[in-house]
Formats: sequence, structure tokens, C-alpha cells
Amino acid sequence: MPKFAPAAPESVPGAGPNHGNRAPGNLRRRETAFSIALVAPALIIIAGIFLYPALFTLILSFAEFDMAALEIGRWVGLKNYEALLANAGFADAIWRTIYFGLLIAFPATVTGFLIALLLNEEFYGRNLLRVVVVLPWAVPPVVAGVLWGQMFHADVGFVNALLYRTGLIDSYRIWFGDGSAALHIIALAEGWKAIPFMVLFILAGLQSLPSQLHEAAAVDGGTSWQRFRYIVFPLMLPIIIPLMLIQFVWAMKAFDTIFVLTRGGPAGQTTTLNYFVYIEAFQSFDLGRASAAAYSLLVVTLMVVLLVTIIQRYAAARRAQA
Amino acid sequence: MSRFHHRKLAKAVFLHCTALVVFLLMAFPLYGLLLTSLQPESVIRSRELSFIPQTIYLDHFRALLVEGHIVPLREGLLNSTLVSSLTAVFCLIVGLPAAYALSRLRVPGRNGILAALVSVYFLPTTIFLIPMFVILVRWGIDDTVFSLVLAYGGFVLPFVIWILKTFIDRLPREVEEAAELDGCSHRLVMLRIVFPMARSGVLAAFIFAFILSWVEFLTPLIFTSNLKMTTVALGMFRSTIDIQVGQQAAAAVLTLLPVTLLMMVFQRLITQVLMAGADR
Repeated sequence: MPKFAPAAPESVPGAGPNHGNRAPGNLRRRETAFSIALVAPALIIIAGIFLYPALFTLILSFAEFDMAALEIGRWVGLKNYEALLANAGFADAIWRTIYFGLLIAFPATVTGFLIALLLNEEFYGRNLLRVVVVLPWAVPPVVAGVLWGQMFHADVGFVNALLYRTGLIDSYRIWFGDGSAALHIIALAEGWKAIPFMVLFILAGLQSLPSQLHEAAAVDGGTSWQRFRYIVFPLMLPIIIPLMLIQFVWAMKAFDTIFVLTRGGPAGQTTTLNYFVYIEAFQSFDLGRASAAAYSLLVVTLMVVLLVTIIQRYAAARRAQA
Repeated sequence: MSRFHHRKLAKAVFLHCTALVVFLLMAFPLYGLLLTSLQPESVIRSRELSFIPQTIYLDHFRALLVEGHIVPLREGLLNSTLVSSLTAVFCLIVGLPAAYALSRLRVPGRNGILAALVSVYFLPTTIFLIPMFVILVRWGIDDTVFSLVLAYGGFVLPFVIWILKTFIDRLPREVEEAAELDGCSHRLVMLRIVFPMARSGVLAAFIFAFILSWVEFLTPLIFTSNLKMTTVALGMFRSTIDIQVGQQAAAAVLTLLPVTLLMMVFQRLITQVLMAGADR
């Protein structure tokens, strides 16, 4: 998906044809009116689908919703939030969500970077590999869940069969009966799906690096490792950090794989915040508390984004000083 | 051989070995799924490790596609095709003019709009789904194709506008400027020059919108309960669940096949259009 860092405007507002300055004000007004007419339908729809519901949810988080009458029952102030904070499962879900996000974002970034470096080289079958690497991207998340579920299936799974054959386990394991194993398998399914996105964007970044840099370094007699460590890696960092952040935020929103593989179990040990919201809203039908949890997820997301941005600014400033 | 040649050979061997490992890592899970879908249940459950099929067994697919099967996969495939196509068409009709305006014309608050298009994807989907569910139930249009197209259309539209806008940004402006100097209106320039030139961007946007709608799971899970109204992603899940491993795999294959094929056929176009937004 397009660059997701808060849209750096790449040209001045109203980058229309440059006759704008010379044209009479009347023509300019007509252009503005026309452009508003073109953008308005899209904006109205986006406001209706995103902005209005988001505000509705915010309001709901301070209320108790009456499911029978389908309207707000009564106002409860901060009680929904207080109830969440008093719920030990909620706090666990927050930490689990952050851990789960890292568990996907970091390995997917490293693997994606390595595969991108590979695809940036010449070798036989490169085009085929490129197609294969991108494939998991088009796999519906629900299918990814089923797929990895079958691989780790207690009876017929390939993983048990392989580990048993090679003597690493002496009896078939019920992977999804163990909360920690289950969480890591879900992360594996999500990570596998996340790799293509990382590869494509990191590869585009690698190909945009000026090739003279490499040649100069090669002439200077640097080894490949030195070239990577002192030239490619620092130049790629400003591209990789935002990509990892995007992946992290998406990972925190993961739902389909959790639903398919564990439904948040066993004993809530794979319930991330997003799944917590789903349970509150569509199983307990406590929409007020679900809304409060959804906004908590939003706050956690924003805090992580902010933290990474600050660290990145700080590191960039340090580098500039050095 | 000189040291130089040795090093070159070593590098080539290393690259090809790594490529093989990557190939297996990314492709093996999909191959395993396909293999499972083509094996009789007895072979699947035999606890034998085999990677090369002895027989090709198509009964799982046949069984799934028979009318009235407990897995509503036929309905799912039809519904998903309908919903995804409608969503993609809808997004293009609304998104293309907006993308043109955002790329070429003076739009008040343009930077704010562009930032908003991107930032909605950082927000948790549940924030939007909770009230939408309430509103749809209140209006009595849950469980309909329309409710799904409405929701998907909204979710996919910002992304469609974004890729169309970046695509139009990269089109050469000379023709448009010449036409404008000749007194051609923006409307005519848009319809006669920009839209025809943006054809491949439009195709890519259509494919993206189609794929994104096809894979959506949470929205139909919440909005639909009638089995006749299921989408394929949901239908395959409501399937056999753990009873018939082979049929589950076959359902999964049928679910991912259309979008995977689209991705393979249009890979070059898709990556080109997508990367147009990435290289700045």
C-alpha cells in the first residue's frame, strides 16, 4: 500500500496547471468549484463510513447500550473504562497485543529485508521466485488461518509428523491446547502473510539507492558485509522503520487468524485487544464496554506510533550530530 | 581459477541455495494445502509423510460444489463475486474523479484529505463496525448484499483514491496543458485525456478493490447470519470445521484461487502501480 507515513505532501496545495496564477479569479473559482464537486461524493462516503461511526463509538464508550431497543440506554460516564481497568484479562490483553505485534513486525521485517536483498541480486529463476514470494499476500487471512491450522493439526498436521519422525517429540502434540504455542503459531500465520508486503517495499527502496554508492565502495575495496553495514543498511533504515511500524499496527488489528485458529483461547491466552473488542461487542453484546475497549486499542496504537516516531527523530538527530 | 572466479562461483551457489530456501518457505504452505485438497481422507489421516501425490482425488471439490452441501460454498463464491465486483465498480466511479481532482486541481484542504485517506487504515476496524452494525440492524438492511457493498466500498475507497491519485500524478502533463491552452475545460480534459490515459491504473485499482473485498472476513461475520447471504471467506470457514480435513482444504483452495490467480496474472501491473507510490 502507498507510503503510509502521514502523507508527505509532495507538491504545493492546488498543484493544478500553472496557468492558475495568470487566469482571472473567476476561472480559478470555477476550477475550485469543479474540484469540490469531484471530491465531495468520496468525502461524504468516507465521512459516513469512518468519521461518523468513529464518533458514535466514542460516545457509546460513555454509555450503556440497550440491545433490545437499539439505542443508548443510559449514560454511565467513565464506568466502562473503569470496568476495563479492573478486569485483569484486559490488562493482559494489552500486553499480549504489544508482544503479538512485535512478534509479527520484527521477524517479518528482517525476513522481508533478507528476501529483498536476495531478489536484488541476479540469479537463475529470479522472476519465478518474485511471483512466489508475493503470493501469500493474496491469500485471504481466513485461509491463512485454516492453512496453518492444518499444518499444526494435532492428528493430521505436517509439523507433528515431521517432528515425530525426526525424533524431536515422542508423541503428537496438541499445539493449540497450549496458549503460548498457539499465540506463536498465529503470529507465524500472520507473519508469513506480512512478508510479501515488506519484500515489495524494501525491494523498491533498494532499487532506488544510487548505484554509484556501491561501485565507489567496491573500488575502495570494501567487503560485501562492510558495504551492507555502512552503506545499504543506514540508507534503508528510514524506509524500514515506517514499514515495520505499519506492520506492527496491522498486527495489532489481526482478527481473522485468531478467530479461525483459537477464538482467543485457550483460557483467553490468545485474546488480543482487537479480539477482546469483538468478544465484548458481538458475544457479550455489551457495546458500551466494547467501544471503550476499541478506543483503548486506538490509544495504545497511537502511543506506539508516537514512541517510534520520537525514537526515530532522536536517532536521526544523533546521527546528524555524529 | 583465480580467487576472483572462486568468489563469484561461491556467491552464485550461495544465492541459488538461499533462493531455494525462500521458495520453500513461501510456497510450501500453499503446496501443502493444495496437496491435502487432492487426497482422500484416508491418506490425509494416515500419518504418512508424503509430498508427492500417488493419486489425484477430486471428490472433495465435487462434494463441496454440489447444491445443498452444508458448506454454502456455491452461494459464497457467487455472492463474493457479486459483492467484490460491485464494490470495485463503486469505488472506481466515486474514486476516479476524486483522484483526478486531488492530483491536478486546486482542492481546498487537499493535504488534510490526503493525510486522512492514509490514516484511516491505522485505526482498528472494530471502531467503525460496532455502530455500523447498530445502524444496519436499525434500518433492517443487515444480511443483504447492499450492506456489504456499502461497508466494503467505504473501507476500500481511500486506498483506491490513493493509488489512482499516485498513478495520475505520474502521467505526463503536456497533452493536458496543451488542451487547456486551447480552451478545453477541466471536465473535458478529465474525461477525454486523463481517464483514457489512466486505464492501467484503473485496472490495477479494480483488482485491488476486488481482492480486498474478497478476503474480508470480519465484516460479513458481523453483518450476515443467513447462510444464503454468506461470502466465500465466511462460507469456507463455516464449513466442515475439523471433521473433513480434505474438504476444508478444498474449500480453502476454492476461496484463494480466484484472488491468487488475479495476483499472478497481473503481478507486474500491480507491483508497478503500487510502487509508483513508494519510490518517493
